[in-house]
Amino acid sequence: MSKLRDLQRAVGRGILGHDQGSIVEAILGDGLDPAARLQIYANHYRSSLTEALKEIYPVVCRLVDERFFGFAVDRYIDSSPPRKPCLFEFGDTFADFLAGFPPCRTLPYLPDVARLEWAINAALHAPADVPLEAGALAAAAPADYPRLVFRLQPSLRLIASPWPVDLIWQANKPGAEDSVDLDQGGCRLEIRQLGEEVVFRRLEPAEFDLRGFLAAGQPLEAALAAVLKTDPMFDPAMALSRLFGEGLVVGYAFAAIEIPQPTEILP
Amino acid sequence: MVETRDHAKPATPLAAGIGLRAPHLSEVMANPSAAGWYEVHAENYMGHGPALRALERLRQMSPVSLHGVGLSLGSAEGIDDDHLDRLARLVERLEPMRVSEHLSWSAADGIYFNDLMPLPYTEEALDLVAANVERAQAWLGRPILIENPSSYLRYRHSTIAEPEFLAELVRHTGCGLLCDVNNIHVSGRNLGFDSSAYLAALPAAAVGEIHLAGHHGNAAGGREVLIDDHGSAVAETVWVLYAEALDWFGPQPTLIEWDCRLPALSVLLGEADKADALARHVLQESPQEKPNVEAA
Repeated sequence: MSKLRDLQRAVGRGILGHDQGSIVEAILGDGLDPAARLQIYANHYRSSLTEALKEIYPVVCRLVDERFFGFAVDRYIDSSPPRKPCLFEFGDTFADFLAGFPPCRTLPYLPDVARLEWAINAALHAPADVPLEAGALAAAAPADYPRLVFRLQPSLRLIASPWPVDLIWQANKPGAEDSVDLDQGGCRLEIRQLGEEVVFRRLEPAEFDLRGFLAAGQPLEAALAAVLKTDPMFDPAMALSRLFGEGLVVGYAFAAIEIPQPTEILP
Repeated sequence: MVETRDHAKPATPLAAGIGLRAPHLSEVMANPSAAGWYEVHAENYMGHGPALRALERLRQMSPVSLHGVGLSLGSAEGIDDDHLDRLARLVERLEPMRVSEHLSWSAADGIYFNDLMPLPYTEEALDLVAANVERAQAWLGRPILIENPSSYLRYRHSTIAEPEFLAELVRHTGCGLLCDVNNIHVSGRNLGFDSSAYLAALPAAAVGEIHLAGHHGNAAGGREVLIDDHGSAVAETVWVLYAEALDWFGPQPTLIEWDCRLPALSVLLGEADKADALARHVLQESPQEKPNVEAA
C-alpha cells in the first residue's frame, strides 16, 4: 500500500474525529499545534456540510431552530458521511435519520417535511424531458395495450403523509409566519419541475395511486385495475388525458412479460 | 503530452470575470455582458435542472469556464470514473473557455470531505497526481488548469516546494496552471513562505488564469490563521500581489471569487473593475517585459 494512501486515510480519520493521534506527527507545527492545524479542516468539513443541508432543508431547520439543526446534522454526518463529490446529492437519507433520532420524537411530522424538502431538491436537479402527445400511442397495436408501460418526467416525486406537510412547509418557509392545525389530517403530494421551477400540489387518492403505480413501472392496465378496485368511480380516460395534458408522460415501452398486480404503493 | 497553449488562451485579453453563484443567475441572465466572463463550480451543474439550462443560455452570450472542486486529483485511490465522466459530459455540453481543478485531494476510503486538502510534496505524490491529471485530460480530450491550493498545514516529509511541484506537474502532463493569488498569500502567511518568491518560481508560460478572492483572519492557538473563505472583498495585500502576478504572467483571464456571505452583484462587478484598472495600469507601465503576452 502506498505511503500517500496511508497518509490520506489517517488525515481522513482525523477529520472525521476518529483518531488524530496517528497523523499529527506527520504535520509540521510552524508555530502552531499540528492538531490545531488539522482541526481547521475538521471544522470546515462539518460547517460546510451543515450549510449545505441548511440550504436543502430550510424549513426543517426553522422548525427545530438552527442550534438543534446543527446538532442533528452533526450526528447525521457521523452516521452518513458524503460518499459522492456533488454536494446537492448529499443528505438523501436525512429524513430517515430524523425518523430514528430520539430527540425528534416530539415532532412526528418532521421526517415527512424533510422528505418533501428532499423531493424539491431532487426535482430541481432532474432533467426535463420532452412530453409525449397522447397521439403518440396511435403507433402501438391495441393488442399490446395491456403491456404498455409509461416513462414519466424524471423530476416527478410523490409523497403521502399522515401530516399536512405541504401546509407546514408553506407556513414555515423563510419569511412566512403562519400556524397550521396538525389535526386536519394528511396529504398526498405531487412534486415536479414545471417550466423553470419546482412546484408541488395535492392529488386525490386515486390520481395519486395511479401516478405512483406508473412511476414505479407498473403496466398501465394493471395500474388502472388496481386503482379501480379501491375507487370504482374512477374515470381512466380522464386520468390518462390529464397525465398527457400535464406533460408527465415522456416515453413508453411494452413490458416483456406478465407483471404481477401492484399490491402496495410506495410512500 | 497535451498541447496547452492554443486551447487555453483566448485571442484577446478579457475583462475580468466573476464566479457565478445561484442568487445572481437571473440578474446576470438579464445583462450577460455585466462581467467579462463567468466561472461556475462544475459540481453545481452536474444535475440537469433549470440551473444548467440557464447556464447553457448564458454560454451562448458570454464566455464561461468550469471550475471543478470534486475530482480529487491528489487521491492515492485514483479519481472516480463516474465523476470524471459527468465532468466530461458537462464540458461537452458547455464547451467552456477553461476547465480547471485543484492540486489537492478530497476523498479517502470512499468518503468525500468537501474540501481541498493539501498533499505532501514528494516524488510519490508527483507521480500519482501526474497520472491522475493525464487520465483526466485524456478523458476530457483537452488540457486542464491546475490551481495552487490554500493551505493550513504542511507535511514533515515534503521534499519539493509547492511551485516546483506545480512546475514538474506541468512538465509531466502538459497541464496549465490557474494561479490563485489569494491562495498564495493565505498559504504564505499560514505556512511561512514568501509570496513573491513563490510567484517567481511558477512556470509563467503555463499560467492561463488568475483567481482573486477575499479571506479572513481567525485566531487559532494564540496566532492568526488566514482562512480562505471567499467571503469578503479582495485584501489590499492581495491586490499588490496581483500586480506582481501580472508582471510575471502578463494579462490573463482574471476571476473574482466570492462564495459565502454573497453581496449584491454590483459589489462583485466593482471588484472586477478594480482588477481591470490595476491590469491596465501595470501592463502599460512595462509593456516590453511580457514575452508571454500574445495579444496585449
